Parts: sequence; C-alpha cells; structure tokens
Amino acid sequence: MNISLLSGILSLLIGLIYTVFALLLPDASIGRAAEPKFFPLALGIIMLLLSVALLYEELKKKKEETKVKSVFTLDSNLKKIGLTCLFSILYAILFDKLGYVISTVLFLEGELFLFNGFRKWKINTIVALVFSLFIYILFSKLLGVYLPMTPGIWI
Amino acid sequence: MDSIMYLLEGFTVALTPMNLLWVTIGGVLGTIIGMLPGLGPATGVAVLLPLTFSMGPEAALITMGGVYYGAMYGGSRASILINTPGDGAAVAATFDGYPMTLQGRAEAALAISAIASFIGGVLATFVMVAVAMPVARFALKFGPAEYFLLFAFALSATASMSKGNKTKGFISMILGLMISTIGIDGQSGIKRFTFGILELQGGIDFLVIIIAVYAMGEVFKSFKNIADGKKTVQKNFGKIWISREEWKRSVWPILRSAPLGFFIGALPGAGGTMAALMSYNNEKSLSKHPEEFGEGAIEGVAAPESANNAASVGAMIPMLTLGIPGSGTTAVMMGALLMLGLQPGPLLFQQQSTVIWGLIASMFIGNIILAFVNIPMAGLLVRVLSVPPKILYPIVLGLAFVGTYAISYSTMDFYLLIIFGIIGYFMSKARIPATPLILAIIVGNNMEQSFRRAIKISDGSLRIFWSSPLAVALIVITLLSILYPVFKDYFHRRKTRIDTEAA
Repeated sequence: MNISLLSGILSLLIGLIYTVFALLLPDASIGRAAEPKFFPLALGIIMLLLSVALLYEELKKKKEETKVKSVFTLDSNLKKIGLTCLFSILYAILFDKLGYVISTVLFLEGELFLFNGFRKWKINTIVALVFSLFIYILFSKLLGVYLPMTPGIWI
Repeated sequence: MDSIMYLLEGFTVALTPMNLLWVTIGGVLGTIIGMLPGLGPATGVAVLLPLTFSMGPEAALITMGGVYYGAMYGGSRASILINTPGDGAAVAATFDGYPMTLQGRAEAALAISAIASFIGGVLATFVMVAVAMPVARFALKFGPAEYFLLFAFALSATASMSKGNKTKGFISMILGLMISTIGIDGQSGIKRFTFGILELQGGIDFLVIIIAVYAMGEVFKSFKNIADGKKTVQKNFGKIWISREEWKRSVWPILRSAPLGFFIGALPGAGGTMAALMSYNNEKSLSKHPEEFGEGAIEGVAAPESANNAASVGAMIPMLTLGIPGSGTTAVMMGALLMLGLQPGPLLFQQQSTVIWGLIASMFIGNIILAFVNIPMAGLLVRVLSVPPKILYPIVLGLAFVGTYAISYSTMDFYLLIIFGIIGYFMSKARIPATPLILAIIVGNNMEQSFRRAIKISDGSLRIFWSSPLAVALIVITLLSILYPVFKDYFHRRKTRIDTEAA
C-alpha cells in the first residue's frame, strides 16, 4: 500500500475519533457552556477536511501514474526498531527496580549489540559501563538531578 | 539607547566564570552532536536539556544557546569532511566543502566555514540588539485576538513552507494542536481526551515529545544509514587557515549573507536550511565565475555558513519577543523556558531583562569561543567523526532516556517516548514534516487560551478577529501563506505544460 494513502486514511481516522470525542465533551459548568468544546471541534473538522484533501490528491495521482512507486515495504531495519522498542520497555520496567546504573548498562549492552554487533562485546561493555557511571555521577552527584539508586550499593 | 545599557548589564551576567564555563561546555557538546549525521541543533538542545535542569534561568538559557550555535558550527564539519550533513542547514556546505576536501583543501574549507559562521553570528547578534526591544514594544499592543491570529500565521507559514506535500504539513500541525488539547482544561476543569488515564490529566509534556521525535525517531532512522558502510575521515591536517586570496573571495559573500540569513531566520517556518540555500544560489548568480560553484569554490562554503548562523540568531527574535518559535530548535528552547517558569513574549523583556540580555551578550562570547574551538582545535575535534556512529547512537538513546526521566521523575514517560518515537519514524517515512507538529504542541495551549480570551472580551462575537487593522493584516498574510503553495503549484504545472507543448 502507498504510504501517503495510508497516512491519509490514518489521519481521517484520527480526525473522526477526535471529532466524536470532542462532541461528547461535557459542557462547562461555569462561563460559556460550549467553550471547552469549540477549539477541539474546529481542529477535528479541519483534520477531516485535510485528510480528505490528501486522500483525493493521492487517489488522483494514482490514476495518473498507474504503477505505484513508493510502496510501503517493511524494511529490514524494522526488526531492529522492534527490538529497540522491546529493550526500551524492559528498561522502563527495570529502571526503578534495579537502579539507574545497572538498568542502563543492560539497556546499552542491548542497543550496542544491535548497532555494533556481538563480536565487539568488549568495547560494548566498556562504553555501557563508562556511560552509565559518568551520567550517574554527573547528574546525581554534581547536578543534583535525582536518579534511582541501585538497592544495597552506594550508587 | 536603553538597549546598550541592557546589553552591558547582560555582559555582567554572561561574563561570570560559571556562565563562561557553561557556554563553552554547551558549545563543545553542541559541536560534537551537530557533527553526527542526522542530528542537528534541535536534537542537540533536546538531549542536553537535562544538564540545565538544576541551573538558574540565565545559566540554562546561556548553555542552550551555546549548544544551539555549537551544533550549527559542528554541522558543517561533517558536511565538509565526509559529505554527510549533520542537519538541513549544513546541506549547502557539502556542495563545495566536500569537493574542497577531495582536492586536499579541507583545511581552508574548515577554516572559512568557522570564520563565516563567526562573522555571520556576530553581525546577526548586533542586528538582534537593535531590533529586539522595538519588536517587543510593538508586540505589547497585541490583544488576545491579534495573538491568536499571530499564532495561526506562524503555524500556517511553517506548515506551508515545509518541504514536500503541503497538505501533510498542515496535517502535522493539526495533529500537534490536537495533542496540546489533551489534559484538564485550565479554565473549566473539564478533562479532555484523557480516556480515563490518570497520567494524561496533566497533559502530555511537550519536552518528552520533542526528545522522542528528535532523538528516538532519528535513531530509528539511523538503522538504515548505518548499514550503508563507513567513510574514512581525514585525520591529519596542515595549518587550518585560509590564504589572502581566499579571504578576498569570501569576504563580500559573508557580509552579504549575514543580513539575508538573519531576516529569513526571523520569518516563521523558514529557517537555517532555506537561508543557507538562498544565499548559496544568490552568490552563485552574483559570482564572476559561477562554473566553479559545486567544484570547490570557497565562497560556496562561506556564504551559506554565514547565512545559517545568522538565521539561528534571527530565529530567536520571534521566540523571545512574541513567544512564537519559528523553528524546531527555538521551539525546544521555548519549551525549556516554559519549564523554567518563564513565559517568552514582550513581557519577558520587562520582567526578566537580565535573563534575556544575558543570553544576547553570551551570543557574542559564545561565537568567539566557538571560533576558537573550531579553528585551532578543529583537527582534534573532528576525531569524533572517526568514532563510529554505531557507538554514538546508543549513547544518544541513553541521553534521551535520562533526559525524559529528569523531566518528570517517572518511568511512565518512557512509554510516551517510545510511542512518539515510533510516530516520528512513521511520519518521516510518510514524508510528513515534524516541525509543524512540534511548534503546534508548544503554542497550542496559548493559542486556544488567547482565542477564548478574545471571545470573552467580545462577548461571544467572532467579529473581534477582524476589528483592528493589525488583525486584518494578520489574516491577509495568513491567507497568503496558505495560498502561496497552491499558486506556486499552479504556475509550476502551467509552465511545465507549456514547456511540454512547445517541445
């Protein structure tokens, strides 16, 4: 599927859902009753108009040139992007539990493995350790930005 | 005259040892981030934001300013040496900078780009000193209706000047405004679009979205580029300087491009990229030997570098005086100001004059420091380019997460970071520009509030939006900015049709 067509359909959907929810917003109990609704409603309607315009443009273009050039392909990097998202979710879960330094070392090892490969594990480990400790000391000790501590250890 | 007084006061702020240190650190870190392919000033300011959280407003702004123009200086290093621009504004430096490197003239290219950036930045800062106060005073005349229209103009100009399909630019803008309506409505207390999720009641923090789009999204995109193979970087340099002949060829292009760049930078939507490309084409058409452009003409590096640094100063004008960011980077800086509890706009000049003038004074100092960092130390600094991006991108990710955590001290925002990172990636795949979205998220709330305030003043009548000459003028330029791409498209099509018929 053409990715512009897809984004047209997506924005149409977003516009529809947003407009419906804007209509369902309760009236304000003070001041003008419809006031909190007005701006969102206008946005929803403009979004619908724009997405129809985009779909029209794309469909017209499709007719003009019968073969579709920009086909939305799942490129090979999608696996790495998916893994990055997975690592990020794990990072979010472990962040408070393991503390900043340990969770960050794990997360960076994962990411460096994706980017730099498994064979360079020595460099990866050094980078992950140095980065985590440096950021922890910089933020937590020098800049006064709180980062979760690892239970039982001083950092 | 007061401007001079304020500026001197600003220097007393900017010249304190700590602030000198911060502008240097910010500038060096900005230069390094600017050198990374795909990462420009907006990403630089976004990922280095947490550094400023514990500082006072003066130091925070001065540091961010340093990162901003540091990234502008750094962007051209990678353009010249490895033909990979750090961001859009550095693209023009590849046209002649890389051919110069191939001819063994990398030293001259590096030197002239830093000299041009320095002159462009300093000249533009002088212009800023002259115009900032008058613009801020003029802006005090704006009522809520005029402000609403000004926001509308800034957003629509940004959307219609973005690259590619204009409809997509406007979709991006509306999406941003929609996101800004999420959360409890400040005036009525009604929860809007929170879907019962507690964390959404306070609204989505725009800084998280900025970090997501500019850092996560860029890392997602980089997976593709990294597979493209690596480039070797020249590491040994002769003396990084230029000959008298080269200086003679460059001096007028530099001086001409600075005011042009400042003016374009101050326009909403048009930023460093457009300034650099315009000044390049300008010099090419003025040049006595246009055939050398693209083959390593030194003024082809000098002119766009002067223009894009001047543009980065010009872009601060609407952000500081009106509270309207005209570019991605100034949007990020405005987000940071809001987080520090400062509302950019005309009143800021009255209430927080030391903060503003401290920043302006530090622009002079920062440019001097960066010229020093980028000329005598260029050989050292470009070694960063030989550190493989494979290691640097994971570090950018690490910075994105620590920055997000420092905003709210909650890992809930990590999920938002992931979601908006994916949205940012999808948008770039679909060629939907991200800048209108970011600008809209930042000004969305103010825009709605000024709309509602205007309606309150007029007691429900929409007539207030065309009741003053200023408002009418704003409506006209907004319509022009929306219709401009349509006209351009029409004439372009007609021209090609005539051309094909003639052929």
